[in-house]
Amino acid sequence: MNVLILKHEITLLLLALGVMLADLWLPPERKRGLGYLASAGVGAILICSLLTSVPESPFAFRQMYVLDGMALFFKRFFLVATILVLLMAVEFSDRIQAGISEYYSLILFASAGMMFAASANDFALLFVALELITVTFYVLVSFQRGRATSLEAGVKYLIIGALSSAFMVFGIAFIFGTSGSFNFGDIAAKLASPEAGLVNNKLFLFGLLFLLVGLGFKIAAVPFQIWAPDVYQGAPTPTTAFLAVGSKAAGMVLLMRVLFVAVPEVTAQWWKLLVVISALTILYGNLCALPQTNIKRLLGYSSISHAGYLLLGIAAATTAGQSAVLYYLSGYLFTVLAAFVVIVLVLRDTGAEEISSLAGLHQRSPLLAAAMTISMVSLAGIPPLAGFFGKLLLIKSALVVGAEHQSFYWLVGIAVVGVVISLAYYLGVVRAIYWGGEAAEKSAVTLSLPATLTVAACLVGILFIGIYPNPLMKAAEAAVLSFK
Amino acid sequence: MNVGLEHYLVVSAVLFALGLLGVVTRRNILVIYMSLELMLNAANLALVAFSRFNNNLDGQVMVFFIITVAAAEVAVGLALIVALYRRRQTTHVEDLNLLKH
Repeated sequence: MNVLILKHEITLLLLALGVMLADLWLPPERKRGLGYLASAGVGAILICSLLTSVPESPFAFRQMYVLDGMALFFKRFFLVATILVLLMAVEFSDRIQAGISEYYSLILFASAGMMFAASANDFALLFVALELITVTFYVLVSFQRGRATSLEAGVKYLIIGALSSAFMVFGIAFIFGTSGSFNFGDIAAKLASPEAGLVNNKLFLFGLLFLLVGLGFKIAAVPFQIWAPDVYQGAPTPTTAFLAVGSKAAGMVLLMRVLFVAVPEVTAQWWKLLVVISALTILYGNLCALPQTNIKRLLGYSSISHAGYLLLGIAAATTAGQSAVLYYLSGYLFTVLAAFVVIVLVLRDTGAEEISSLAGLHQRSPLLAAAMTISMVSLAGIPPLAGFFGKLLLIKSALVVGAEHQSFYWLVGIAVVGVVISLAYYLGVVRAIYWGGEAAEKSAVTLSLPATLTVAACLVGILFIGIYPNPLMKAAEAAVLSFK
Repeated sequence: MNVGLEHYLVVSAVLFALGLLGVVTRRNILVIYMSLELMLNAANLALVAFSRFNNNLDGQVMVFFIITVAAAEVAVGLALIVALYRRRQTTHVEDLNLLKH
């Protein structure tokens, strides 16, 4: 067995431990800069992952771990997200009273969990990777211990997170009991053989349903979305950003692996359930976002609705649908991070995360105002930005399946209604920036060079993915084909 | 009486249901947290029973993973509850009402 197949995770973990150790020797005033070092390190791992191709024998640890095209795609995705979130955390560091180095290293640990999740081919690794992400996020969410809202968000995430992992473990126990294995490949083989009768085994299906509860919590799909708005609002902004991008994508990749590698036969039966959840999630997220006044809470509801759009591609269960999910997530990464970087840079006073406090931003910083506008417009799905093509691909994949199952036409209709509703609140943010009246604070926003580069990187990402969709579409399709 | 797999599974399901009931009805965060542990242990019992009756040790290995992860979760969770108590002098869920729109 080739341990080097795990080289990205191992280096990332060493980097996280190194950051933690460096905290002991660095003088306090230099600890802030450790974030730049960490993101440079993650950048090096990203370059290494770009040079890596799928090995001939992609499995390790008795097929628990797999490094196929899908895993590589998501590893790169998580590394890009980690770099941007770390840079965001450096800008945020003045609002964290103590332990900024630990904040950086916890982000790295969570990222390592996501990388393991991308490669999970076994329910044991799935559980451990998800828990590594979740437990790190308990700390990351409540990191501003001085703020009651951050602690409250942390406790809420803790209780609902622990509840969902209890459901997941109980589900895994029944899947193991009925199929006799934790391995996705073994379970798929057993499902495919008719004499085992697993497809109709009630206990097996019951276990699978419980497992989906745990994953549904991770991606914040209705009816497990209840935590998302509170936690998004209360958590420190870089944590919220990482939760919106990394944690959701980790849930998505695990969902895709379980549904399409481990239990494809059951997925083919359960498409109605996925369609209903997708429709409810889209409607719930968009309708509840309408009356919001807090920008982070608004993005929390918006992230619920985006989980719904992603589930649309999963419900379609075709190659086109799955590659649309990958494309959509990549566009979402840059779009959401752009919005959160602007929030970190502009709303320094943590009490004022209201949308109205963005008023007059175009006078204080034209770049940030433009970044926020482009991000909102892309989230709403207006051409030619990343969000538009993502939605287009998802809806196209659902329409193709609609020829077979009529209900997909209804789902597409609901998705389109959702997009129209979402225009109202996304453009409300844009209106607050440009036509929101006089700014309470008129001073120009000062941007450090790394902050400007972070914003620019997000903008380039949104525009590039939107205007030249082909390279990413090809990469997404190759990833999906390799994982079948 | 011969104790079979079903008996273990029924006990496990009862434990899980009791834990869930506790999470839903109790108002003290510490009690809720205990109920969550009960739910995890219900899963452990089911895994060990399946492992024993299917002659497959993988399930018991999984139990070790679950116990370890649960310990980490408890450490973080209790620290969080203590921090909340210091800040707000409460461990009741009704008092967690700052985050609303």
